[in-house]
Amino acid sequence: MRFTRRSVLQGFALGVSLPLIGQPAPAEVAGVTRRAIPSSGEEIPVIGLGTWITFNVGDDPVLQDECAAVMAAFFEGGGRMIDSSPMYGSSQPTIGYGLQKLKYPDRLFSAEKVWISDPTSGAEQIEASRAYWGVKRFDLMQVHNLVSWEEHLPMLFDMKAKAQLRYVGITTSEGRRHQEITRIMESQPIDFVQVTYNILDREAEERILPLAQEKGIAVIVNRPFRQGSLIRQLDDEPLPEWIAETGARSWAQFLLKFIVSHPAVTCAIPATTRVDHVRENLEAGGGVLPDEAIRRRMLDYVEAL
Amino acid sequence: MSDWWTYTPADFLMFSPRVYLRLVERYNQDFWPLQLVLVTGTLAIMVLAAMHVRYARIALLPVFAAAWAFCAWQFLWLRYATINWGATYAAMAFFLQAGLLALLSLRASNDVLSVSRWRRYGGMFLALFGLLVHPFLPLLATRSLAAAETFGLMPDPTAITTLGAVLAIRGKRLWLLLPVPLLWCAFSGLTLLAMEDRGAAVPAASIVLVAAFLLISARSRARSARH
Repeated sequence: MRFTRRSVLQGFALGVSLPLIGQPAPAEVAGVTRRAIPSSGEEIPVIGLGTWITFNVGDDPVLQDECAAVMAAFFEGGGRMIDSSPMYGSSQPTIGYGLQKLKYPDRLFSAEKVWISDPTSGAEQIEASRAYWGVKRFDLMQVHNLVSWEEHLPMLFDMKAKAQLRYVGITTSEGRRHQEITRIMESQPIDFVQVTYNILDREAEERILPLAQEKGIAVIVNRPFRQGSLIRQLDDEPLPEWIAETGARSWAQFLLKFIVSHPAVTCAIPATTRVDHVRENLEAGGGVLPDEAIRRRMLDYVEAL
Repeated sequence: MSDWWTYTPADFLMFSPRVYLRLVERYNQDFWPLQLVLVTGTLAIMVLAAMHVRYARIALLPVFAAAWAFCAWQFLWLRYATINWGATYAAMAFFLQAGLLALLSLRASNDVLSVSRWRRYGGMFLALFGLLVHPFLPLLATRSLAAAETFGLMPDPTAITTLGAVLAIRGKRLWLLLPVPLLWCAFSGLTLLAMEDRGAAVPAASIVLVAAFLLISARSRARSARH
């Protein structure tokens, strides 16, 4: 029932002939730190691209083109992972529109989610998502917010065994259901876990991040800016001069550097609608990543504000 | 969602205010000048119905039914649902309301103005607010009237105007017409609150006013019965 009009939207989006921005060069762009996915050793840049809210633009052609421009800048800057979900409204068709416009860049690492309580509809939903993206298969499929995970995970493991996807994961956000997350991390052979982690929301440090290191599970970090509110909160405060030694020149970069410098974190996925912001985010993945002493200093500085 | 208490309205907001406003602007452009036709036409029918003009009385509820159906189809189903999957369910509720309006319009006694003064004037105030004032609310937020929300095209003024009209008239089972617009006002108020839009106060105030007018009317009726 839901999203029946989205197929129409997608058809509209794909049918529009627009000038191509140009396919990003497949050669790796230097600068963005890469981390290995423990289960395979494959390396991905520590900065990805989230799509919650920002890519939910309906069938607005102006906004679809803005999103495609963000994707183009993301790939040109060395980014790989784009993360979405069936829960995100029209974000999936928007990604599909952008990918088609960019001629499906080789470097794309597609991260999707299954989000449906009826376990028998999981495969159907994944197929619908794949059609929206226009990719042959997803690199990563995650169980969104642990919805019916007991039923979905075996299906995803089966799809992975059949090479219909490459990695399996689970997600949560804002510190919810961490006990259940850790139980799954301990008992299931998942490749990825996605949680909220930022300089103020650090519950993940207690158990999830150490457990991910121990079990060899890659970590995706969502809500790095608390949906932008962290940056708005800090914007009036002075950026400490000593952070310049890491290469950070804005609060967004300060916050991202804190996240991706945690050794358990594989990739953070800030979302944005702006090309200058996606470039700024990718820059944060380069330069010097803070060591433990600088991380402590960053924490003390923000907590004192 | 076992930990439902940890969620806030903002957690359910899945689009940005900019995307929503552009959606409304593009929708208005698609149908201009239908907005003027609907507002002036409905106003004329409401005034004539209040003056006991027979055809206007007969036309009142069917006009409202058409407005709810149009809003459900063109805005909620075809447009809003592209950025908010919850709008699909809202569209169904709006179609239900259109059906109820059509059904109840068959009753001959619906066209009599309410005997309670508070209900009558309160209802008229709400209906006129929804019809004539609501479209100008963007000006308060220094936004363009291109994003004006008008009766018959957008859900908020349609719901508020309907609540006012239902309050103002008397008829059996008309209470059946209250739940959907009241629920919509609650949903819309929470959505606007999550968007940090001061307009959230309008649907919220509409709910309070309907409750207040009904309560005052019931008390005044009870007092009259005692005397």
